[in-house]
Amino acid sequence: MSKTSPNAAAQSRERRVWYLIAAVIVAALPLFVTDSYWRTNLIVCALNILLAIGLDFVLGYAGQLNLGQSAFYGLGAYSSTLLVLKLGLPFWAAFAIGTLMAGAAGALLSFFAVRLRGHYLAIASLGFAVIIYQILLNWISLTQGPLGIYGIAPPPTVAFPGLPQIAFGDLRNLFYLTAGFTLIVYVLLDQMVHSPIGETLTAIREDEVSAASLGIDGPKWKAFAFAVSSAAAGAAGCFYAPLVGTLVPDAFFVSESFMILAMVIVGGMGTLVGPVFGAVLLTILPEFLRSLGDMRLIIYGASVTLAVLFMPGGIVEAFHLLRHRLFPEGEMR
Amino acid sequence: MNAFSTFARLAWIASCVLVVATTTSPAADKVIKIGGLLPMSGPGSYFGAQDKQGIELALDQLNKSGVNGYKFEIQYEDSACSPLPASQAAKRLIDQYKPDVLIGEECSDATLAIMPIVEQAKIPLINAGSSSIKITDPGNPWTFRIMPNEVMQGVDIATNAYKRLNARTAVLLHENTNAGIGNAQVFADTFTKLGGKVLADIGFGRDVNDFTAIATRIAGMGGVDVIPTYTLEGQGLKITQALMQAGVVKGGGGKAIQLGTIWLPFGFEQKAGKAALGYIRIVQFDPTDQRPQVRDFVQAFKAKFNLEPTHLNAHAYDQILLIADVVKRGGKDAQSIRDTLAQTKDFSGVTGSVEFDKTNQNVKMDTIHYMETKPDLSWTSLKWN
Repeated sequence: MSKTSPNAAAQSRERRVWYLIAAVIVAALPLFVTDSYWRTNLIVCALNILLAIGLDFVLGYAGQLNLGQSAFYGLGAYSSTLLVLKLGLPFWAAFAIGTLMAGAAGALLSFFAVRLRGHYLAIASLGFAVIIYQILLNWISLTQGPLGIYGIAPPPTVAFPGLPQIAFGDLRNLFYLTAGFTLIVYVLLDQMVHSPIGETLTAIREDEVSAASLGIDGPKWKAFAFAVSSAAAGAAGCFYAPLVGTLVPDAFFVSESFMILAMVIVGGMGTLVGPVFGAVLLTILPEFLRSLGDMRLIIYGASVTLAVLFMPGGIVEAFHLLRHRLFPEGEMR
Repeated sequence: MNAFSTFARLAWIASCVLVVATTTSPAADKVIKIGGLLPMSGPGSYFGAQDKQGIELALDQLNKSGVNGYKFEIQYEDSACSPLPASQAAKRLIDQYKPDVLIGEECSDATLAIMPIVEQAKIPLINAGSSSIKITDPGNPWTFRIMPNEVMQGVDIATNAYKRLNARTAVLLHENTNAGIGNAQVFADTFTKLGGKVLADIGFGRDVNDFTAIATRIAGMGGVDVIPTYTLEGQGLKITQALMQAGVVKGGGGKAIQLGTIWLPFGFEQKAGKAALGYIRIVQFDPTDQRPQVRDFVQAFKAKFNLEPTHLNAHAYDQILLIADVVKRGGKDAQSIRDTLAQTKDFSGVTGSVEFDKTNQNVKMDTIHYMETKPDLSWTSLKWN
C-alpha cells in the first residue's frame, strides 16, 4: 500500500475544497443569471469547457497535438441525434453510445499518433476532422447533410420518486445537467492527472523513448488519452444538439478545432484549470463585446492576439507571475 | 451662502429636468421596438451591411412624423448566418431589448434556428432573405416571409428558362447548403417535367475557392443552354469568371446563360466584369420600376448614401415599411403586430406587393424581377412577370 506524502495529502485536500467551491458556483449561477440569453451562454461555456479540458488532457498532458476535436464533437452530436431520431433510442442511451463512439474514434486516431508526432500528427488529425466534416456534409441520406436536422428535442424529463420532475426544456435544468456533467468530467480528469496516470502521460510527453525505457507502453497510453479526450468532446456534442435544436455540419467545421485549441492555449496548456478560464473567456468575451457592434470582432481578435503575445503560458501562468510579483514571499507552486 | 445658492440652482435645474422628463415620458413610451437579426460577420456580412442602409433610410423617413403616434427604433445583433450565433443573438435581443417585432435573418439555416425561439417568445419575425421552403412549410404562426420561397422562384425561373429562353439542357451549380440544394432541386424538378434535361448537378462546399475544374468539366459537356447557379457573392464571382475562362458562357464566347436568384447583390456585374455578360437573374427590386414609391426610394437612397440602391437595401426598407403599415392598421405590440401582419393584403412596397397565405408566405409574384446583364455591364429589365 503506497503512502501519501503530507504535502500530497494537503494538495489533495485543497483540490477537494476547490471542487466544492466549483460545485457551489455551478449551483448558484442560475440563481443570479435569470434570462435565457445568459443562461444559454452559461451552457455554451460548460460545453466549451468540456471540449477544452478534453483537448488539454491529450495535448497538455500526453503532448499529442490533436486538431481533430471538432470531428469528435460532431460525431457525438450526430450519432446521438440520429440514434434518437432513426432508431428511437432514449436520449440517455444515445448519449452514452454517442460518447463511446467518439471515444472509439479517438482511439482509432491514436494509431496515427503511434507513428506521427508534432506537426505531422496535427496535420493527420486535421485531415481526420476534414474527413468527418465531409461525411457529415455529403452523406445526405443519413445526416441530412447541409439540409440540416431541425426541431431536436431537449433531453427527456427526469422524474425521481418524491421529487419534482426535472424538465430539460428549462434552460436552468439544462445548465445544471451540462455544467454538472462537465464538473464530474473535470474532477475525474483532475484526479487522473494527479495520479500515476498523469505522471505516465507526462513522461510520454517529455520523452517517449525514456518513458519506454521505464516500461511505459506509449501506444497504449496515447490511445487512452485520445479516447478520453474525444469522448469528452463527443459528450459535449451530445448536449449541443438539444441545446441548439438544429444540426448542420458547418457547426463542426475544422475551424472549431482551432477555437478549442485557442481556449486551451489562452487559458494555459497542461494545467486543466487553465482551459476552464480560456473557455469561459473566449465564450463570454464576444458576447460582452456585442454592444460594440461592428468593432466587436476586431477587438476580440486583438484581445486574443495580445493575450497569447503577453501571456505565453496562458491565464494561469500570468496569474502565478502576478501573484509572485505582488507577494514575493508567498508560496509559489 | 454661495454654496446654498449653488445648491438651490442645481435643485431647480434638477426639478425642471424631472418635470420635462415626466411630461415627455408618455410620448417616449410610444415606440415600436424592432430587433434586427442580421449577418454582420462572416461570408454573408454584405447582407447585413446593405440591410442596415435600407433600414436606416426607412426609419429616417418614418420617424419624421411617426405613425399613429408611434416612433420606430431598432437594435441590431450579429446573427452571422449560422444557427448557434443566430439563436444567441435572438435570445439576447428578446431578453434584453424586448422588441415588438423582429426582422431577419438572411440565411435559411440561421432563420430555421431562430424560428422556435421567436415562437416561444411570441414575437413576430419578418424574413426577407431566406428562401428555404421549410421556413413557411410547415413554418410557425410567428414567422412571415415577404420574398418568394425557393419553390416559387425555382418553378418560375425554370419555366422561363424552358419557355422564353428555349433552353433544353441545364447544369446546376449550387453550394451545399439548405437553400443551395433546395433551390437547385426545385429547378431540376420543374425543368425536367417541362421536357428539359439536367446534364449535371454539381454541389460544392463554401470552402471551395477554385472552380476551374468544375468549369472545365462543364465545357467538356458541350451544348449546355443554362447554368442555374446558387451561391453567395464570393464564390459566385469565381464561378462566373471560371466559366468565362473555360469559354462556356457568353462573356467567354460560349452560348450558355448563367441563371441566378436573389443570392447575388447589386454590383456583382461590375465585379465580375465581362464574365457576367448575358447573366440572367432574379432580383427582387427593379430600380427602373416607374411606380412613384420606387422612384422616391431610389432618389432618397441616392441622396442619403450617394449610391444606387440594391435589392437588399430595398428588401430591408420594405420590411420596415411593412411594420409601419401594420402599426397604421392598429398593431401596437407583438401580438397585435402578428395578428395584423397575418391579415396583410396588397401592401405595396418598393420590391413589390405583399399578401400572406395561411402559412405566412407572401404569395405575390410581382416581387420577382428578371434582369439581364448588358455588354456595358448595366442591366436590362426583362419584364417577364
